[in-house]
Amino acid sequence: MTAPDSNAAQIAAAAAAANALPPAADERPEWTPRAEMTVLNREIPRLDGPQKVTGRARYTHDVRLPGMVYARLVVTPYARADVGRISLTAARKVPGVVYAETVKADDEGVRYQGYDGILVVVAAETPEAAEDGVRAVRAKVTPLRPPLVTPEQALADGAPQITRRGNVSSESSRGDSDAAAAALEGCDAVVEATYTLPVQHHVCLETHGCVVDYRGGDSATVYHSSQYVTGGPQEFAQYLELPRGNVRVICEHMGGGFGSKFGAGTEGLLACQTAKALGRPVHLMLTREDEFLMAGNRSGSKQRMVGGATKDGKLRALLVEADRLGGVGQGSLPTPPYIYDVETSWSRLRSVHTATDSNRAQRSPGHPQASFAMESLVDELAYALSIDPLAMRLANLSDPVYHRQLQRAAREIGWDAHPHKTAHGAPDADGRALGIGFGVSTWGSSSRPDAIVEVRIHPDGSLEVSNAVQDIGQGSRTLVAAIVAEEFGLPVSAVTPRIGDSSLPTSVYSGGSITTGSVAPAVKDAAFNARTALAARVATALGVEPDTLVFRGGRVEVRDDPSVGMSWKGACALLGGDPLTASGKYRDHLHGERVHGAQAAKVSVDVLTGRVRVLRMVCVQDQGIPFNRMALRSQINGGLIQALSYGLFEERVIDPIHGVMLSDDLEAYKIAGAQEMPEFTVILDDDDDRQAAMGMAEAPNIPGHGAIANAVYNACGVRVRDMPLTPDKILTKWLEMQR
Amino acid sequence: MNAFAWQRPGTVAQAAALLPSDVDDRSAALMAGGQDLLTELRNHLVEPERVVSLKGVAGLDALRFESDGSLVIGALVTLERLAADAQVRARLAVLAEAALSVGSPQIRAAGTVGGNLNQRPRCWYYRNEAMVCLKKGGDECFAQSGMNKYNAILGGGPSYIVHPSDLAPALVALSAEATLVSPRGARTLKLEDFYKLPSEVGPQRETVRAGDEVMTEVRVPAPAPGMRSTYAKFKERGSYDWALSAVALCLWTSGGAIADARLVLGGVAPKPWRTPSTEALLKGRVVDDETCRLAGVEALRGAAPLADNGYKIPLTQGLLTRALRSLS
Repeated sequence: MTAPDSNAAQIAAAAAAANALPPAADERPEWTPRAEMTVLNREIPRLDGPQKVTGRARYTHDVRLPGMVYARLVVTPYARADVGRISLTAARKVPGVVYAETVKADDEGVRYQGYDGILVVVAAETPEAAEDGVRAVRAKVTPLRPPLVTPEQALADGAPQITRRGNVSSESSRGDSDAAAAALEGCDAVVEATYTLPVQHHVCLETHGCVVDYRGGDSATVYHSSQYVTGGPQEFAQYLELPRGNVRVICEHMGGGFGSKFGAGTEGLLACQTAKALGRPVHLMLTREDEFLMAGNRSGSKQRMVGGATKDGKLRALLVEADRLGGVGQGSLPTPPYIYDVETSWSRLRSVHTATDSNRAQRSPGHPQASFAMESLVDELAYALSIDPLAMRLANLSDPVYHRQLQRAAREIGWDAHPHKTAHGAPDADGRALGIGFGVSTWGSSSRPDAIVEVRIHPDGSLEVSNAVQDIGQGSRTLVAAIVAEEFGLPVSAVTPRIGDSSLPTSVYSGGSITTGSVAPAVKDAAFNARTALAARVATALGVEPDTLVFRGGRVEVRDDPSVGMSWKGACALLGGDPLTASGKYRDHLHGERVHGAQAAKVSVDVLTGRVRVLRMVCVQDQGIPFNRMALRSQINGGLIQALSYGLFEERVIDPIHGVMLSDDLEAYKIAGAQEMPEFTVILDDDDDRQAAMGMAEAPNIPGHGAIANAVYNACGVRVRDMPLTPDKILTKWLEMQR
Repeated sequence: MNAFAWQRPGTVAQAAALLPSDVDDRSAALMAGGQDLLTELRNHLVEPERVVSLKGVAGLDALRFESDGSLVIGALVTLERLAADAQVRARLAVLAEAALSVGSPQIRAAGTVGGNLNQRPRCWYYRNEAMVCLKKGGDECFAQSGMNKYNAILGGGPSYIVHPSDLAPALVALSAEATLVSPRGARTLKLEDFYKLPSEVGPQRETVRAGDEVMTEVRVPAPAPGMRSTYAKFKERGSYDWALSAVALCLWTSGGAIADARLVLGGVAPKPWRTPSTEALLKGRVVDDETCRLAGVEALRGAAPLADNGYKIPLTQGLLTRALRSLS
């Protein structure tokens, strides 16, 4: 079944026009003062929690349709290769295989590891038959050397060209290098250091992919693990060669995206082509190995820095030469000096390409890389000057919010009582040293004006809110219901949220922390319009003015005389036979920008083994109105965990001779587990009194790994400048220090 | 994985008869808990026509102390059961700790003693199907000149894998014996002699087990009175990982000094690495900084690290220090 996605909006608009009164010109929705909120600014358990923990939530992976086939990809493991003849004869003879086609043109080689390594698509009646079909494909693949998987190989004289832009691209500089170099002269301390970060994967629990329900004809429904449901029909319609309005995209639940699931991807294109060829639904989800090879990553970086400060702790000079390492992609890195104020700075950034999978957006793209380098440099300068690293930070941050937040984080982590602040500590008799480190974060939290929301009140008192937004895990399903519940003085359970379907009113992507800031104002606007319309009906029935009415505690009543009023159900019954439908759109005055965060980490370093154990992480984070305090804390916990995992373990490993990825499973690509979890102290910064909706999810995973690295130094004097902080590096550096 | 025939013999003799005697004949695979075999099948490192499951064989799940104080462990005893057994924990701590250090709760619930002792290496070149390394019949140990952070520093060459079993160092330290049954009969040998270096048995094997031999049980002799023991395993990631290095140590003290010691290293060599010269050095010494230092030097004598795994020397020395201090 396919519902053209314009229909619903047309119906909604018509209904709204018929049943809603326009608000008075001088009235506009405003967020309820926080102290008066009865639903928002509280702990709201996620509505889909029970479904998720009982396994009833249906993810894209779980979709099963009549006549569906399973598609699998044949992927070369090599970064670069010549591809000779590909034989599909045996694959097509595998029982159950219904489709096997090459993706490559004759003599087309593999130029990079990732999408370009896909050779063949196989589809079969069962996943097992598809796998057997993949195994039966014969292809003559000859790896090329050097594989060009390291920056050194890519930059070597005579290295083959990797991208159309060459092996180095997008070079830019800012500032005056002579002036910055001259400013170094007057500094009391100068630190020269190179900071490197490896490529990190998103590691979505649900791999990328879709189920394309196309059975011939002129319409299709696509189930897609997507962080942009509204944008889906355009891309899938193009791949299916169907009118955009005839393609519907659904994402009920998704198992993680983190920036890697904005589009259909090559896997989406191939699923569509297979469905077109077969006229049957196609299930194409990447395997975990495929996911590591081609589903994107956070770019690595190498930042050569020279920084100088005077003995008052002021940063006076900074010179940075940085390489973004995004494979065939550009990589990302904000321009130094990132958050801190530096009197004179110069930077030159460039992309160094390798024949590896392109980077994609990943939660706060570029920021964790920039943060690690800058937080490390500030820390190194502080110790070089024997200045408290907390004081050093405060001296170079002009925004008072950071002062408030850093001081709070310091208080929570116990910095005052910490015995060694301006020089590193030493291990105890058993070889264990304790340290504390800091870092700060920022994010723009912008918005997009696209979201349209519909609120429908039924005469029986039931209430729906509809918007195509996906719940990437941040709790948007719960949020849209909660905002409507607040408006009507009802419990969240009284509202049915409808999301994750492109046939619902337009929404925005989930990326850059824009979802809440873009959708919440539109929900508020729709709820406000619905309330205004219903209030008019009730006012007429009660013979009072609409603006004397309040919706609270399941009633609609006169504010100053609660005896005059009626129950919510009674009010809705006034609607007669037809529901009341109101539409809302993005309202900029309900949105705010720019969030701040400060973090502190406390670690124990075991100098006998090199183990870094994170004991505690503190995060103080602002976010405008904290709509759902439970969801916010949960999301901040997630950011802290990602930063911890990035800092301690995560690293893509590709053999530099053969160009084969060695870390293509969750054994070799290590992510933090339950035993690595520290105590988390998440403080929602209630001193931020902005009455505005804004997202903040990017910020919490920016500074944690830098804070951990700084804590390691504070503990025992080991400064690791190349992430991750694995035991081999800690131990080797510690022993070097003892010589 | 490829399709295979599933065979479920009812006796050890039937199981052994279903296995090819030639160790290089990989047409059948023996399965206990399947925790290692499944990963080998999934990655197409083995593609047997038949999988012979031991699950239908009765009597392989004994876990009991005999009247002489020795411990009998059936090959199908799960790691979870071994780790949780109160008697084992009290009398053979090194073994219980080693069992508890394996994998995850799920793996320990399914994984068996026999499977753990006979698992294949985790070297990421070996585990990657695209890399036809020495261990898979190729010409080269890619780890030797490649990414070798996790590889051997002792006993390496021509293959540089480390043996992945945690139970093996513990059981070798406890002087355990294993019983192997084949159509030719049963034999019992010391686990210490069961594991071999690639230079001894070739790079494609880790043990002297013949293709049609089924390990049925392990017997730990009663330790001399007064033994204290521990298994100090270092995992890069505490939640679910193999050892970067591990120390299995059994210690007997008398009047404050070490009377006797058994020391076996794990995670650093292609087999459990016993170091008798360190055991001899420890005798008569009290555990102090100097003893720890000397033992560390002696235990790692002959270590020949590759480019990226030199840290395993101080790591192992650190673990040994911790183990000695914890038992003194």
